[in-house]
Amino acid sequence: MTFQPKIVGFLCNWCSYTGADLAGTSRIHYAPNVRIIRVMCSARIDPTFVLKALHDGADGVLICGCHPGDCHYSEGNYKMMRRYPLLKSLLADYGIEQERVRLEWVSASEGQRFADIVNDMTERVRALGPSPVKAALEADLAER
Amino acid sequence: MDDLKIGVFVCNCGTNIAKIIDCDAVIDSVERLPYVAVARTYKYMCSDPGQDMIQADIEEYGLDRVVVAACSPRMHEPTFRKALQKAGLNPYFLEMANIREQCSWVHDDPVAATEKAAALTAAAVMRVAHHEALERRSVDMCPNTLVMGGGIAGMSAALDLADAGNRVYLAERSDHLGGNVARTDLTAPYLDSARDMLTERITRVVEHPNIDVLLESQVRKVDGFVGNFQTTIRGKADDGAPTDTVYDVGSVVVCTGYKEFDASRITHYGYGKLPNVVTSFEFEKMLRAGRVTTKEGKAPQYVAIIHCVGSRNLEFHAYCSRVCCMTALKYAHEVKSAVPGAYVSDIYIDMHAFGKGMEDFYRRSSEIKTLFLMYEKNDYPVIRKADATDDCDMLIEVNEILSGETIEMPADLVVLMVGMEAREDSEEVAHLVNISRDKDGWFIESHPKLDPVATTTDGVYIAGACQAPKDIPDSVAQARAAAARILARTARGKIEIDAVFSEVDEDKCSGCRMCNELCPYVAIEFDAEKRRSHVISALCKACGACVAACPSGAITARHFTDKQIFAELEGVLA
Amino acid sequence: MADDKLQIAIYWGAACGGCDVSILDTDEFILCIDAAADILLWPIATDGKYKDIEALADGGLDVAIMSGAVRNSENERMAHLLRQKSKVFVAYGSCAYMGGIPSLANLVPREEIIARAYLNNASLEPGNTTVPRLRTSLNGYDLELPEFYARVYKLDQVVDVDYYVPGCPPQPGQAQAAITALVQALTGQAEAPPKGSVVGASERALCDDCKRTKAEEKKVKRFYRPWQIMQDPEACLMEQGILCAGSATRSGCGVRCPDSGIPCRGCYGPAPGVVDQGAKLLSAVASIIDSKDADEIDEILLTLPDFTSFANRYSVAASPLQRSHRR
Repeated sequence: MTFQPKIVGFLCNWCSYTGADLAGTSRIHYAPNVRIIRVMCSARIDPTFVLKALHDGADGVLICGCHPGDCHYSEGNYKMMRRYPLLKSLLADYGIEQERVRLEWVSASEGQRFADIVNDMTERVRALGPSPVKAALEADLAER
Repeated sequence: MDDLKIGVFVCNCGTNIAKIIDCDAVIDSVERLPYVAVARTYKYMCSDPGQDMIQADIEEYGLDRVVVAACSPRMHEPTFRKALQKAGLNPYFLEMANIREQCSWVHDDPVAATEKAAALTAAAVMRVAHHEALERRSVDMCPNTLVMGGGIAGMSAALDLADAGNRVYLAERSDHLGGNVARTDLTAPYLDSARDMLTERITRVVEHPNIDVLLESQVRKVDGFVGNFQTTIRGKADDGAPTDTVYDVGSVVVCTGYKEFDASRITHYGYGKLPNVVTSFEFEKMLRAGRVTTKEGKAPQYVAIIHCVGSRNLEFHAYCSRVCCMTALKYAHEVKSAVPGAYVSDIYIDMHAFGKGMEDFYRRSSEIKTLFLMYEKNDYPVIRKADATDDCDMLIEVNEILSGETIEMPADLVVLMVGMEAREDSEEVAHLVNISRDKDGWFIESHPKLDPVATTTDGVYIAGACQAPKDIPDSVAQARAAAARILARTARGKIEIDAVFSEVDEDKCSGCRMCNELCPYVAIEFDAEKRRSHVISALCKACGACVAACPSGAITARHFTDKQIFAELEGVLA
Repeated sequence: MADDKLQIAIYWGAACGGCDVSILDTDEFILCIDAAADILLWPIATDGKYKDIEALADGGLDVAIMSGAVRNSENERMAHLLRQKSKVFVAYGSCAYMGGIPSLANLVPREEIIARAYLNNASLEPGNTTVPRLRTSLNGYDLELPEFYARVYKLDQVVDVDYYVPGCPPQPGQAQAAITALVQALTGQAEAPPKGSVVGASERALCDDCKRTKAEEKKVKRFYRPWQIMQDPEACLMEQGILCAGSATRSGCGVRCPDSGIPCRGCYGPAPGVVDQGAKLLSAVASIIDSKDADEIDEILLTLPDFTSFANRYSVAASPLQRSHRR
C-alpha cells in the first residue's frame, strides 16, 4: 500500500480558494491528498493552526494566499509572509521536515498552478513518509 | 450544546458529483458523527424541491444546524442561507462542504474522492456545531455612481444610471470622451459609422443633467465600502492647476478599456522599418480622413491584412483578441470601396466569425473578391521590401495551408491586426478599487459564467474590454448589465452587508496596540482613556489579520473563530 | 494533627526550588499557613516522608501543591500519589503549569541529553562511558533509579489538576493570594474558583499593567538584545526592537521585569483562552517587522537569535508539538 499523505490546505477565499475552484470548473485533475479549509485571508492563519494540524495528524500543511500586491484586503498576505520564516524556524527546531509546511501564492485565475502545487507537494510529502508527530507523542506515553 | 441537531444534505448535482463520489457512503460515514439528526442525498440540492427538502427537515427534525455538501460555497452559499432563513433558522447556521469543484471535478479515483468528500463533510459538521447566530447589518446605499472611463462602455453605463435619476461621476483620463471607438471609422458587420453612433452617445452624456463629465481627471483614491464609498478625483482647476475633489458614491463601474499591442515587437513584420506597414488603428486614421494611400501618397494596388498580430502567440499573448477578424473583413470592404481596383488579400490563421451577422459578413467579404490566405499558427508570414523590378512595394511570403503552397503576396500597404492588451495602468486601477487581475492583466469577474460584471469587491463592477477583449455589442451589454445591477440596489435605498466582522473582547484586551496599525481599513481604534482597542464594525472587512496577530487572543473573527477552525481541522484529519 | 487544621503537602518534581522559596518569601504569612495547616510533606522545609503520604486515606490531604514538571518516573509517581490522596491538587509555578524551563529539554532527543551530560562534555574525564542505569546491584543490594522519560510533561498531562498558579516563580503576593483563596474555599468561607482556573493572576496580558507608553506605530527594521541599545525607559520595548513577551503573557507579576529594563520572558504563561503562547508571540513579532520583501524579512530575522527558545521559553510541553520530532 503506497503511503497516502494527508495534507491540510489553508486557502484564502478571494484568490487561492477561487483558483482551486477554477481548477474544478476547468476539470484539471490533481492528487486527492489535500483537504482544504477556507479562511477569508491568509492573514487569518494563526501559526497555531499549522501546529495543531501537525499535532492532529496532518502529514503536511499547505498555506495559500494572493500574490504579494494583490491581496483582496490590501496587505494581508504580507502579514502571512512575515510570519512564515519564523514559523519555519520554529518547525525546524521542533524537528519537522521543511517540506511538510509550504506557503504558495495562487491567484484566482491559477487553477493549473494550484493543481501543480498540490501534485508536487503530495509527492514530496509522500517521499518524507508519515509525519512523526502523532506516533511519537503516543510512543512517549506508552513507555510510562 | 448537548441537544444540538445537525442535518446533513449531500448533493448529487446530477452526475457532476454522483459520478465519482459515492454519496450514500458519505451519508453513512457522517451519520455516525455526534449531533447528526438526519443525513440524506438528493439530485440537485439547489433546486426548489431540494431546498424544500431542507426546509421540511428543519421543521420535522427541529434542526439547529445544516450542512450542505455540494458545489463551492462561492456558488450557492447565499442560496442555502436563504433556504435556512425561510425555515426560520439563522442563515449563518449553514456550512457547506465543497465536494464538487474541489473534489468530484478534480479527482478520478472514486475511492479516494469519496473518502475526501466524507472528510470534508465531517469537517463541516464539526465546524457548524460551533456556529453562532449572526445578524446582517443594513446600511444606506448612496445612489451616486463613479464610472471610470469615458469610452463606449463607460458612457453606456452612465446613461442607464442617469436616466434612472441617479447621479453619475464619469471620470476620463484624456481630454475627450469616446475611448478607442473614437479612433475608428466604421463598425463591422454592418459598416455603420462609429462617429455617428458615438456622437449620439457623447451628446446625450454631455447634456445629461445627472452626469458630471470629468475630463482630464484621474481617480486617486477609493475608500469605504459598498453603498458608502468616498472617491478622490484629481482634475484640473480653471487655472490649470491640479485639484482634488471628494465624491460620495455607492458603486463604482470600471470601464477603462484596453490598449493595442505594439507591433514593433514582431520584427518579421517590419513595423517601424517598412513605412507602408501600418497597424489597424493607423489604418483607421486613414479611413476617417477618407484617404487610403501609401506613405508616398499613391493609391495602393495591393493591400494585405494580417491577422493575429500579438494574439494567439505564446511569445506575446496566448489569447484571441476577438474583434480583429471581423475588423479585418471590414477593412477589406473599406479598401474595395475606397480604392475600387485594389487587390485585397486577407492573411489569417482562423476566421473567428462567431457573432450575429458575422458569418454573412464573411461570405460577403469573399463575394467582393477578397483573397483569403490561411497560415499555420506559429508559421508566420514574413514581409520584405520588394525589388525595384517588382510592381509592388513589399512581398509577403506565406506558407498557405489550403493550397499547400508557399505564396509570395504583393503588397503596397500592409495592415497589421494588432491585438488587445491590458493597459499599463490596469495594475494601478486594480489596486485603487481592490479588484484582481488575471495573468494577462484583465480584471477578474466574480464568476466566469454566471456573474460577468461583478467583482470580488462588493460595489465595484467591471464592464467592457478591461475585463477581456470584446467588441462593441458585448461591451455595451456588460456596461448596461452593471448599471442594472447597481439600479437594483439603489432602488431599495438600503443594502445589507455581511454580518461577518471581528470584535475585540474588552475584558481581554490589554491595550498592547499590536492591532491598530495592522488594519488596512483603519477599523481598529484605541480608546486612550479606557486603554482598550475597539473594532469599528462598519469598517471591518473581516480579513482576520488582527485576530491572528492579537497576542492575547482578545479579538474574535465572527464566523471564522479559532474554535470553528480547530473543529474543522479535526474533521478533515479524522 | 489537630482535626480542624488543613492537611497539606508541598512537593517538587523537576524543579529548581524557586517555587518553594516563593512560598517561604511570603514572610509572616508562612505563620498563617502554619496556623491553618499541617504541612505533612515539604522537602525543602520539613521532615515529612513519602510513607506519611502513602499512609493517608484518599482525600486525606486537603491540598497538594506541586511545583516542577514531570521528567522522570519518580516525579510521576509522586504526582499520582499526591493526586490520589488530595482533595485539591494545585499545579504551582510555570514548570507545573506548562513544563517550564526543564521542558526546553524537549527540543533535544533524550539520547543526546544523556550523551551530553555523561559522555561528551568538557567537564568529564575523557573516555568516560558510565551512564545512569535503571537498575544496579551493589553489595547484594538492588538499587533503582527513576526512569528518565523521553520528554518532560506538564502536570496536567499526567494527573488531573484542579488549579494552576503560574509564574517562575509565582510572586509571593500571588502565592499568598492563591493560598488564601484556596483555604477560604476549603473552609467554606468563600466559593471555590471554577475547576481548572488559573488563580492569583490577571485575566489580561502584561501590557495592561505595564507603565510604558504604547504608540500606534509599531514598526521595527531590526531587533536588539536588551544590552545592545540605550533604551527609552518610558516607551514600549517592542517598539524599540527589543523582544518582549509581555503582550502574550498573563499579568499578575507586577511587571517587575519591564520595569527594570528587562523584557518580559513570558513565565506567567499565555493570556486566558490562548492555545499556544509561542504561536501568539510569533504573530506579535511578525506584526512589527517593517518590510514587505521576503529577502529583507529574512535579513531582519537574522537579528533574532534562537526564536524558538524565546517563543516557548516556559511552554514547550504545553505547545501543540510538545517536543522535537527529529528522527
